[in-house]
Order: sequence, then C-alpha cells, then structure tokens
Amino acid sequence: MGLEFLARVRKTSTWLGGVMALMAATYVSPLLGLAFAAGALWSLVNLQLIERLVVSLTGTARGTSAGTRTSGFALLGMLFLFASGAVLLVLLSPEALVAGFLLPLAVIVVKAGTKILLGSRAWRGIANNRWRAGIAALALATVTWFALGALTNAGGQTPEHSAPTSEHAQTAPPEGAPGEAGSGAAGTATPEAHGDATAEPHGEASEEKEEGFTNVIALLAGAFPHAAWAHFLEHYEVLVFSLFIALLLLYVAFVASRNPQLVPSGLQNGVEMVVEGLSGFFISIIGPKHGPRFVPFLGTLFIYILSMNLFGLIPFMHSPTASLNVTVALALTVFVYVQFIGFKELGPIGWLDHMLGSPRDLTGWLLAPLMLPIHILGELAKPISLSCRLFGNIFGEDMLLVAFASLGVTMLPFQQLPFGIPMHALFFPLALLGSALQAMVFTVLTSIYILLMLPHEHHDEHGHEAGAQHAH
Amino acid sequence: MDMQAALSLGLPLGIGIAAIGSGIGLGLIGQGAMQAIGRQPEATAKIQLAMIIIAALAEALTIYAFVTMFLLKGKI
Repeated sequence: MGLEFLARVRKTSTWLGGVMALMAATYVSPLLGLAFAAGALWSLVNLQLIERLVVSLTGTARGTSAGTRTSGFALLGMLFLFASGAVLLVLLSPEALVAGFLLPLAVIVVKAGTKILLGSRAWRGIANNRWRAGIAALALATVTWFALGALTNAGGQTPEHSAPTSEHAQTAPPEGAPGEAGSGAAGTATPEAHGDATAEPHGEASEEKEEGFTNVIALLAGAFPHAAWAHFLEHYEVLVFSLFIALLLLYVAFVASRNPQLVPSGLQNGVEMVVEGLSGFFISIIGPKHGPRFVPFLGTLFIYILSMNLFGLIPFMHSPTASLNVTVALALTVFVYVQFIGFKELGPIGWLDHMLGSPRDLTGWLLAPLMLPIHILGELAKPISLSCRLFGNIFGEDMLLVAFASLGVTMLPFQQLPFGIPMHALFFPLALLGSALQAMVFTVLTSIYILLMLPHEHHDEHGHEAGAQHAH
Repeated sequence: MDMQAALSLGLPLGIGIAAIGSGIGLGLIGQGAMQAIGRQPEATAKIQLAMIIIAALAEALTIYAFVTMFLLKGKI
C-alpha cells in the first residue's frame, strides 16, 4: 500500500485510458476520444501533483528547503493545471472530460476493492478449490451473457422498428440513439457513417483509395475535416508514414551508435547483430571482393522495407508498401542504382557490350541485334516486377486481414456490440512471415541484379571459391 | 453479357487460373529443392535461398493477376 499502489494505479489508468480513448475516437467521434484522453491525462497529472505535495509535506524531506521547494512547485503546477482544465472545459465536450477525469479514481476504487476481496476468506475458499472456482467462473460467464443480452436488447429497441432494413440503417445517419444503453447501437452505426464522412469531402482523392483498417491520419482527418493540415496529411498519408519510419530507424541507429562500447550490450548489441548478419548474407551472395561496398545500400533497403511491411500490423498504423507509389519509388531507386553500377564498373563500352550479350565470336555477333532488345526489355521489366510483387503481397495481406476482421465483427451474435471476435489474429503469423519474406526477396533480387552487372570474371572466381570450400 | 457482368465473372476466374499455374510451379520448385536438400544436406542454405527467389518469381504471376483485379475492380 502507499506510493507503490499509486504507481500501479497510474500505470493501469494510463493503459486503460489510452485504449478507451482510441476506442471512443474510432467508434463514437474523434473529438470525443481526444476529450476523454485529455480528461484522463489531466486527472493523472493532478494525482501526481497531489502525491508530490503530500510526500513533501509529510515525508522525510519535511522542513528542509528541498521539501518546501517541491511543495511550492506542486502548488504552482496545480494552479496551472486548473487553468488548463478551465480552457479544456470550454474547448472540448465536458461529459467526456469528466469521464476521463473519473477514470483514475475508478481504477483506484476497483484496485482497492480487489485488494480487499483477494484477502478475504470467502475468496480464498473459492480460489483454493478447483471445482468451486470452476463453478464460480461459469456462473460469472452466464450472468455476463444474460446481462449483455439484456443490455443490447434494451439498446436495440429503437432500431428494432426498422429491423428488416438493418443493413440500410447503418448507412442512414444515426439519429441520436436515446438512452444510456443506446450508446452501443450508436457505436456500431457510427463507423460506417464516419467512413462515409471522411470519404465524401475529398471525392477524387478517395476514389482510388481501398478501404482498409482505419489509421491515425484518417482519424485526425475525420476530427478536423476542414483544417488544411489534416487534408495535407491525409493526402500524403503514405509519405508521412514512410518518413516517420525512416526517422524512427535513424533514431534507433543514432541511439545505438551514440556511445559505442568495445563490449556491446543492450541496443548496440542487437543492432550490431543485425548488421553483421545482413553483411554476411549479402557478401555471401555478391562475393567477398565486391560485396562489402553494396552492404550499406542493400542492408538499408532490407531494414526499411521490412519495417514498412511490418508497420501495418501495428494497430492504427498503415503499411506504406501497401501503396504502389512507394514500391515503384523503391524499385526505380534500385533500377537507377543498378544501371549506375553497370556504367561505373563496366564503362560505357562495356555496358553496351553487356547489353549486346557480350558477343565474342561470329554467332554472338549474329545474335547481337536480337539480344539488345531482349536485354533492354529485361532491364525494364525488373523494376516493374519488383514493385508489383512487393505491392501485391503486402496489399493482399492487408486486405486478407481486413476481410477476416470484418468477418469477425459481423459474425458476433450481439449485433450492437462495439467489438468483435479477432478472426484476423489467425493470419498474423502468415502476415509476419510474408512481410519478412517479401523484404528478403526484394533485397536478394536487387543484389542479384547488381551481381549480374558486375564484371563477369567475378562469377568464375566465386565458383572456384565455392568449389574450394566444398572440397574442404 | 455486358461489360460489368463479364468483368465480375472474369476477374475471380482470372486470379484462379493464374493461381493454378503458380501452384503447379511452386510445387515443382519445392519438390526440386527438397530432393536437392535430401541429396546434399550440407548445401541446405544455398538451395533454400535459390528456392525462395524462384518461388517469389513464380508467385509473382498470381500477384500480377491480383493487381490487375484491383485495377479493374472499380469498373464493376
């Protein structure tokens, strides 16, 4: 009990408040979620300041100058807090703010209640006996089932008048479902309405946009439909996400190499392991002579694509690689880089020779006019196949997850609940595997294109080495 | 049969036919790789790498059909 209890309350309310605010933002309205989060944050800061004040007045630091300073700062902070609370009350909806404010207090009450309950003799009697525990859990589940049924029935009374056309009821604007229990019905009806609302204002932009999971930027754009910056963010959503990932990777690299140790530990250790693994992998493909020069490009490509592929699996995030624009940009980068390598390593004459199929005898020269278009077409097909493969796989994965998530929502018997069965969780392992595999395929194919552009005697050398290794 | 009906019939069929071809190809690739690994277990890493690359090439054909489906889906 005491400070440790308060710290646990803080942690629980932070997580709970975050999740509830996100749910409110998704299912009811983004502004409401924002208000709820602001209320919860306000309440948490308030609790923290009160704790500081009480500790400085009653703890070991009482009477010292440090204690007095702490209490003074806490009082000053509370003053600012109340001022900001007044501003928030004017700006955002008061009900959601008050609900957010009450959340940490509710957590305290529930936590204290469980503490008392867990110590009681009746609880120990139930929990220590397997059969009694099972019966109690069963009874609890039954009560919850019936309570939920009664609740959704009470909430569904208003929509029941239009029960045969419930499909159409979702597209119709929710006309303020009355009563407390009606919030569930309003909750399910609003996502569609919300989706329509976000799709309407930017007609031409949203036409080619496929429907997927909602993400942070779509939520922001829904919250501020008339703000120019929100429109900008929504329009360049993919770019914003990919730049954010790039910055994240930059930050990780910076933190890992900021204070390098001879014997690495923690983050530095992990990053060094990844770099060493990637470097060994690409050098094993390209060969020890030319390989090390291309490791930075190929490794960056791999890590960047992998992070972008996996980013879509984080809730409220979006895979930039599920857009053809990003994958075409990546593939064009690879194309230009590979041609540049060819020019640099082979020279213009050597590059032309490579394009003609390296004719050395009469048959070669006779076939050269045929080989040139074939080679040019082959070079041009590389970026197309690279970009389409990455885009199709990641986009298809996302669509699969969306399809099964919506199946999980629609198959729930209580139609008015704002949550569903997470059917798509079954496909997460597949998505993880596919993301890693596609990132690897992209980079391995790039390294092979580079390898094909390098001077050809290199192949024999590599072959000899492989043979020599095998002989050992 | 108008354009829409033709598209809504043809797009899923197109993906299915492409998937049949890729499936046969992937099966052959997997068979070859497994046999090679069985004959020469010490070369597993190299064979697996080549197998994954060729499997990606074979699988890409279905993905092209898939992308085509999404390009034409708006016309239904």
